[in-house]
Amino acid sequence: MFKLLKKALQVGEATVEYPFKPLEVAPGFRGKPIYNFQQCIACGACAIACPANAITMDYNLEKGIKSWKVFYGRCIFCGRCEEVCPTGAITLSPDFELAATAKEDLYCKADFRLTRCHLCGEYFVPAKELEYILAALEQAGQPGSASHITRQVMEVCPQCKRRQGIKTAVKSLPRAVGQQQGRG
Amino acid sequence: MITVKGDFNDNRDTKLVELKEKLKKVIKRSVNVYRVDCGGCNGCEIEIFASISPVYDPERLGIKVVASPRHADVLLFTGPMTRPMRLPALRAYQATPDPKIVIAYGTCGCSGGIFHDAYSVWGGTDSIFPVDVYIPGCPPTPGATLYGIGVALDLLQQKIKGEHHVEDEVSRVQPRHPNIHPDLRKDIEREARRLSGYLHGKQIADKYLQFLEEGDLQAVDGKVKGFLKKEKDPRLVEVYLKLHQIFTARMERVTGNVG
Repeated sequence: MFKLLKKALQVGEATVEYPFKPLEVAPGFRGKPIYNFQQCIACGACAIACPANAITMDYNLEKGIKSWKVFYGRCIFCGRCEEVCPTGAITLSPDFELAATAKEDLYCKADFRLTRCHLCGEYFVPAKELEYILAALEQAGQPGSASHITRQVMEVCPQCKRRQGIKTAVKSLPRAVGQQQGRG
Repeated sequence: MITVKGDFNDNRDTKLVELKEKLKKVIKRSVNVYRVDCGGCNGCEIEIFASISPVYDPERLGIKVVASPRHADVLLFTGPMTRPMRLPALRAYQATPDPKIVIAYGTCGCSGGIFHDAYSVWGGTDSIFPVDVYIPGCPPTPGATLYGIGVALDLLQQKIKGEHHVEDEVSRVQPRHPNIHPDLRKDIEREARRLSGYLHGKQIADKYLQFLEEGDLQAVDGKVKGFLKKEKDPRLVEVYLKLHQIFTARMERVTGNVG
């Protein structure tokens, strides 16, 4: 009896005082993913990496909006989004108090503008992503004066690029080959 | 098929809503919880049993897990709503006396989770029952469990809020480490990832690249050596040294070319 009491006094209290005092979490604890809208370039790497489809991206080509959405009620806190994010826009915080009474509170959404292709006028790429690519090229040593030309090349959608490629390829064919193909 | 709209209009039934509010006021320190497993992976159950252990001791708050739905005030639905477990879940729901508080526990309970598009899964708990509180987490930690039950009983405030950002003007996001050559950055990041995985590799590479902001080879060398002397983990030291080798080899090549 006394032995037991002695031991109990030595060990002290094992119960945490959680709801009344903050709970310490272990280092490296994966809690709520916190999204930094300023850093995000809407590249969609996290949406591809997300194994639970908690992060989704949708295009709206009529309005010219690409919308990003994370649903914490489907997130499994694996941290793959943090791994793949090129700009560090999403990081897992040690915050675990996520309970909500309404489902709407478990969503975090963001809308990005799309850029138009300057040949066909269709929306095709988030403007922020384009800016990021240009910034990365400048960092890689492209002079600032050339960025204007690069931007012109970039603001062409893949389909128009293919068409342009075909046109130049056909023009560069020697005439004889063209005639042969015509007969064949 | 029995669903929320057809049979359980609890939340729209004003009398029941009033009763539920009254229940939250009178329940005080006698909260009996019954958990219904609708087909989960047992992770949530293990975590519930971890949270009723003496370490978190929910009996302080009067929260107790009971063995029969007839005793329960709170129903914890864990796991995605699967086809075979739908009827037992319904029976448990109907066996629980009104007014009752329904909690969707864990990611699967909230929305079907990682199984949300599987062939035998209908989605979360809210595909059948009106849910009062969602507790996300895969599985929710004991702390999150206590917090969620606290929110359900109006003891604690809800912290999370839905967010919606709209882009007003396009701002330029600068790539990280602007003073370091992209090829060097790429080499270091790749090596760090190869050696210690994506997440930690990223953290290690970020830390190492901060040293490189010094620019001067001597300064960087001194800083890295000083940092490694304090580092106790031999694995980390080895990774940093490997990264440092890449940097020094590159610098030698560059200076050699210049010379």
